[in-house]
Amino acid sequence: MNELAIQFSDVRLSYGSEGSPVEVLKGVSFCLNSDEIISIVGPSGSGKTSIIMLAAGLEKATSGTIKINNQDITELSENALSAIRRKNIGIVFQSFYLIPNLSAVENVLLSLEADQKFNGEEEAIKLLTEFGLGHRLHHLPSELSGGEQQRVAIARALINKPSVILADEPTGNLDEATSENMTQLLFEYTRAQQTALVLVTHDIELASECDRTIELKDGNIV
Amino acid sequence: MFNFQKLLYIHRYAIRDIRRSYQKLWVIALTLFISLLLLSLTFSVKQSLNDEIQANSKELLGGDIRIDSGIYPLSEAQLTQLSSVGQVSETVSFFTMLSKPAGGAVFTDLRIVDQVYPLYGKVQTTPTGAWAKLKIQGEKPLVFINENIKSQLQLSAGDELKIMSRVFIVGGVIKAMPELNNSIAFGEFAIINKQAFKQFDLTSTSSFLDFEYLLKIPQSSDYLQKLDTVQNLFANDESISTKLPNDSTENLGSLIDNFFNFLNLVSVSAIIIAGIGISNTLLSFINQRNTSIAIKKSLGFSSSTIQLIYFYEILIILLVTSILAYLLGVFSPPFVSQLLPASLGLSLQPSFSLLSYANVAFIGLLVVLIFSIPSLYSIPSIKAVSLFRNIFQPVSLHFSAKNIVYLLALVALLVAYFVLQTQQQFLTLSYFLAFFASMLVFYGVAKCLIIALRHLRSLPNNAYKIASRNITSKKSLAPIITISLGIGLTLLLTLSFVSDNLKKEIADSIPAMAPDIFFVGVNKAEKEPLEAFLTSLDNEAVTEFNPMVSASFVALNSIPIETLVSKDNRSRWVIQGDRRISWSEFAPEDNPIVQGQWWENDSSEKMWVSLDQKNAKDLGINIGDEITLSILGREVNGIVKNFREVDYRTIGTNFAIMINSAFAEKLPYEYIGTLKSDLSSDEVQSLVVAKFPTISAIKIERILSKVSQMMNKIFLAVSGISLIVIVIGMIVIVSAVMVQTSQRKYNNLIYKILGVDFSTIVKATTLEFALIYFALISFSVAAASLASYFIIERIFIIGLSWSFDIGLTLALTVSTGLITFFLILLANRSMFSPAVYPLIRNE
Repeated sequence: MNELAIQFSDVRLSYGSEGSPVEVLKGVSFCLNSDEIISIVGPSGSGKTSIIMLAAGLEKATSGTIKINNQDITELSENALSAIRRKNIGIVFQSFYLIPNLSAVENVLLSLEADQKFNGEEEAIKLLTEFGLGHRLHHLPSELSGGEQQRVAIARALINKPSVILADEPTGNLDEATSENMTQLLFEYTRAQQTALVLVTHDIELASECDRTIELKDGNIV
Repeated sequence: MFNFQKLLYIHRYAIRDIRRSYQKLWVIALTLFISLLLLSLTFSVKQSLNDEIQANSKELLGGDIRIDSGIYPLSEAQLTQLSSVGQVSETVSFFTMLSKPAGGAVFTDLRIVDQVYPLYGKVQTTPTGAWAKLKIQGEKPLVFINENIKSQLQLSAGDELKIMSRVFIVGGVIKAMPELNNSIAFGEFAIINKQAFKQFDLTSTSSFLDFEYLLKIPQSSDYLQKLDTVQNLFANDESISTKLPNDSTENLGSLIDNFFNFLNLVSVSAIIIAGIGISNTLLSFINQRNTSIAIKKSLGFSSSTIQLIYFYEILIILLVTSILAYLLGVFSPPFVSQLLPASLGLSLQPSFSLLSYANVAFIGLLVVLIFSIPSLYSIPSIKAVSLFRNIFQPVSLHFSAKNIVYLLALVALLVAYFVLQTQQQFLTLSYFLAFFASMLVFYGVAKCLIIALRHLRSLPNNAYKIASRNITSKKSLAPIITISLGIGLTLLLTLSFVSDNLKKEIADSIPAMAPDIFFVGVNKAEKEPLEAFLTSLDNEAVTEFNPMVSASFVALNSIPIETLVSKDNRSRWVIQGDRRISWSEFAPEDNPIVQGQWWENDSSEKMWVSLDQKNAKDLGINIGDEITLSILGREVNGIVKNFREVDYRTIGTNFAIMINSAFAEKLPYEYIGTLKSDLSSDEVQSLVVAKFPTISAIKIERILSKVSQMMNKIFLAVSGISLIVIVIGMIVIVSAVMVQTSQRKYNNLIYKILGVDFSTIVKATTLEFALIYFALISFSVAAASLASYFIIERIFIIGLSWSFDIGLTLALTVSTGLITFFLILLANRSMFSPAVYPLIRNE
């Protein structure tokens, strides 16, 4: 039986003051197997990105339980959450977010270095070369195209072999052809590594390519 | 647990970051370097001076022990005892006139030396080797003069000179002497031999001779025992004092300590101001890396790891700049040596020590820690969630309760580190308190300006509106300008005000009140002929003659005065060594009695004492107290009868201690006289010296010019250092301006799009600086005026009067303002022509 990579139980998230809180998630529950690819869809403001932030331990749930690899992360300290991210989670952002003064390979290495792995240069070069960036290894982000930057960002998320990849509209800033190429790359590698993938997207076609789709509306799963 | 791999990674990352971001970190490196260089210079020169003094302590004293027997020579029996211990050299000193037969005279410290002088070191002369001729008895005796006499009287070797009507030949010019002596370095000084001195036939008590004996003890196992023997020989004789090499260097060391302590404090002010720049630059550096920090957090880096990386970068900068600054400081003493008078004979050498470097680096580390903590602790408030929302809020300095405790502990450590290293602990502590209070006050000045502008009714003028909005915005430059520039400017203004007031007193006020010439060494028989001669030269001349005798303060109410007066008592000079005291039947007209009664028509044989009120107050003396004075070697008890208000600014014959005539008339004494006349001082001096060869005539003008020269040098050095504080302040301001350039460019672009023209933007920038600078100088000028008033009116014991110089104030404030504004414009030059395209594209 597959292990659960992510488990949300009656998770609520609200912002603002006690008198007039803004409820972003209103009791969301779902599970994700360790080799499963799911998409989260829904209109803007429905809470898609909030689920990613909560799963990454970057935001604290107001109530409910979140488990990553069967470990409850809801009450963990900042440092313990950092450790969870280092070992178990890879994140891909819509805006790539590479560090501007680091080269492509250095950006990828950053994930390993965060986890105290200091001899991973060969591995990073190999992965980037597989991603078609062998000729761009030592280029700064400003010297790369949007598609190339996103490939570096995916490589950075995958290099540490995390159990979960959280991708927040990874193709949102790319043209159609590049988007497709990028999605194939992401699917191919997550499947090969048997990594769970949570894909937040507005693209229904892309969502349909996933194993399962969770649709959100006003903070609830519909 | 210690993780070497992690440390290695932090090291690699920090080095890589510095290599790629050095343009953004230059302000930290530059301000740290300048302030550490200043600190290293003061440490190195002080260390080198102390080393030189310690290494040459016997040369500086003149022997292994020095015995000062005052106005009486040692007895034959005492000399025999000294000779049994080592080689003895007898020297006699007194002040007299040296005159040129063709005209011109100088009041000189004349030293008489014997055949064996000097016991340690060498006297260097021009022509080289001329010194040996002093010991040969020729037809006309030789005199060796210092540079000051040579230049004043235009003399060279072989010329004739008269000393008390005897003709001497100039044997050479003294370039350097082993003994450290004020007269050699800064005054007029000459040396003759013993045989020539005997021709003067002077009696000790009437000529204020000073007998000194230098003793050279051969190095042997009983060396210390011999030193003890000599000290014990004179232990019970209060009229004779002994000095060891360390005693002499201790006094000098204390003087050096005090001066360098002041320089250290100014240097630490510079480094603290540099710290403001470090804090500001580091914060903007963190803000520029806001996204990178958020990305690292999303990858699992903890805040503490990121803080460590940035702190490590600062430590690398500190290490490099402190090593460079220290090495430059180490090699500075030989250059400083060139600035010292050659006659001091001090040759400063580079002195390297790891401990000194550690001292500089430790102070740098403390300052870096103090100023980087609030910036580095802003890192936890950067959240990775902002990456999902694309919203990046700039962080600000973080002051939590924990941080404040850290900061207070570090500041206390910094202050204690300085306070415990100096003898003037109270002054040092006060300086720090005043410095930190000033920082708060200057911050308050900026805040007051901001509050005032918020509450003032807005003017219908775009330039004013933009300027006002910039000053009152959250990222206002006002606090950083007032704090960074305020302290340096106030220091410079204070020193300049003090210097200016002293110069004015010396150039105008004092000469207007003071006599033109002093006459010293006037014996009873010469007094009336001299008065008559002066009247014959100018019957309008005002002369004043007072009897005087040498005395020293021994005890107050039978308690040794030394045990009652602390070393930093400002009237300590009254109880140190021999003082000239005087007497008068009637109360002096220009010394009003402020407490007690004068002793008119007194016929008592008992001694009554009158004291300067300020000295009495400082020394804790009351009317009716018993004072013991040693007069001509005899201890006499007297009762304090009154206090006078003495105005030393008149430079007339003012005496701190006066006694009653009935008692004093029995003593052997001389007169001191003054002359105020329309005649040329040079002419009167030459005529008096020619007619009365044993009388010394001293021109006040010469004394004042010497004081003025000395003061100019000191104030130049001190003002130079406060200028460095200003320069560091300017760099900090420029850095603050530069980190805001992109924001300003953006704002100006918006103004441009809205149709605001270029001249309005320039006017707004000018007005913004003018408003901040005006608030700053208003406070600086007021604070400097108050401080200089306090120094001039309260600290200087001679009672000077303070005045405000508007010209000097304008010159200093306007020039500093213009330079700062020019630098701001230079740093901001790109914001005046913002390129529309990259800004619109958010590039």
